[in-house]
Amino acid sequence: MKIAVLSGKGGTGKTTVSNNLAALLPDATLIDCDVEEPNSHIFMNPEINLEEDVQVCFPVINEENCIHCRKCATFCNYNAIIASSNMTLPMKEICHDCGGCALVCEYDAINYEYRRIGKIFSGNSRFSTKLVYGSLKTGELSGVKIINRLKEITKDDPLVILDSPPGTSCSTVATLEGCDYALIVTEPTPFGVSDMKMVVEMLKEMKIPFAVVINKAGLGDNEVFEYCRSENLKIMGEFPFDQNIAQAYAVGKLAIEVNSEIRNSYYALWERIQNKVEALYGNK
Amino acid sequence: MILALCSTGKELQSRVDERFGRTAFFLFYNTDTAESIVIENSAKEAKGGAGALAVQQLVDNHAELLIAPEVGPQALEALNKFKIPAYKQGVVTTVQDAIKAWENKTLDSIKDPGNKGLHKA
Repeated sequence: MKIAVLSGKGGTGKTTVSNNLAALLPDATLIDCDVEEPNSHIFMNPEINLEEDVQVCFPVINEENCIHCRKCATFCNYNAIIASSNMTLPMKEICHDCGGCALVCEYDAINYEYRRIGKIFSGNSRFSTKLVYGSLKTGELSGVKIINRLKEITKDDPLVILDSPPGTSCSTVATLEGCDYALIVTEPTPFGVSDMKMVVEMLKEMKIPFAVVINKAGLGDNEVFEYCRSENLKIMGEFPFDQNIAQAYAVGKLAIEVNSEIRNSYYALWERIQNKVEALYGNK
Repeated sequence: MILALCSTGKELQSRVDERFGRTAFFLFYNTDTAESIVIENSAKEAKGGAGALAVQQLVDNHAELLIAPEVGPQALEALNKFKIPAYKQGVVTTVQDAIKAWENKTLDSIKDPGNKGLHKA
């Protein structure tokens, strides 16, 4: 079972919800897919037992073979190859590593070289949950390849919770691909609702069933509740804004460690998710 | 010599555009014949690599020199490779003024890249 936790807007509590859930479930694997700014390891404090480089390819022109036919430049959807009648110039930082240019080249003039864009880590957390996460090198464009690698090394794990990157970019789509269910974490503020709407669109497009969790309830206004009602979105959990929990978070502690009521709420949330997923897919 | 300029419109009297990769039009001015052609910038709505696609259009139209507000690091590298020197358009208003300023040799060359583009993965 693969469950993605996402939000649209940063700072709504994706990490809070995904980490609290994962810490409750001994068999779970938590993937921190926010490779630009991973932070789950601060709470899960894993003992790292696997570290691996992630590399991407970029094209290099073999000048002896290239006749500057420009097919590769015309083909490239990302504008990563510029070509004139006497020069073909790949732009390695724009390249998305799709491998298409070598396929369209009829003169065997394109080779690929590798460069490292980041790392992945895996280990057992201070709860019995496993944590895997990655980090993208500063200045690199896309963490998709790292996210895909994180998912690859956990593909046989029975229960995977994916802490998604904020927003609706390629990284979020890569996180969602193959997920059975999604939880949108939102906060009752105008920005929370506005960014959540984009995520709702994305999930509908990707045909991934989802429910909503309201974090920091009690703050802000009622717009999020009205929106959920008008769109018929199920609110599966509500966590109040709580100074003590925020303080615990600031020193790397999870809500379930400091508040037994919240711990019970997370158990209840998990039961609702499980029931829902079983109703959708059978016992998985 | 063919100059490439970033323009908001199709005339020599049009205002210069404040963007390079996402300029509305490229105006190519031939200093030998005083003729100009204008193309719509196909990189204007590009999701990524707008600077590179802009350079491709300069190359396709045989530009020998670029006058632009600023140029990002990757586009500047590409311009260097294709031997198209870049000059800063400065505080001119119209494309025609920019051409005059270049002819009067009052434009500075662009040696350092400006801000990075916003290309997203």
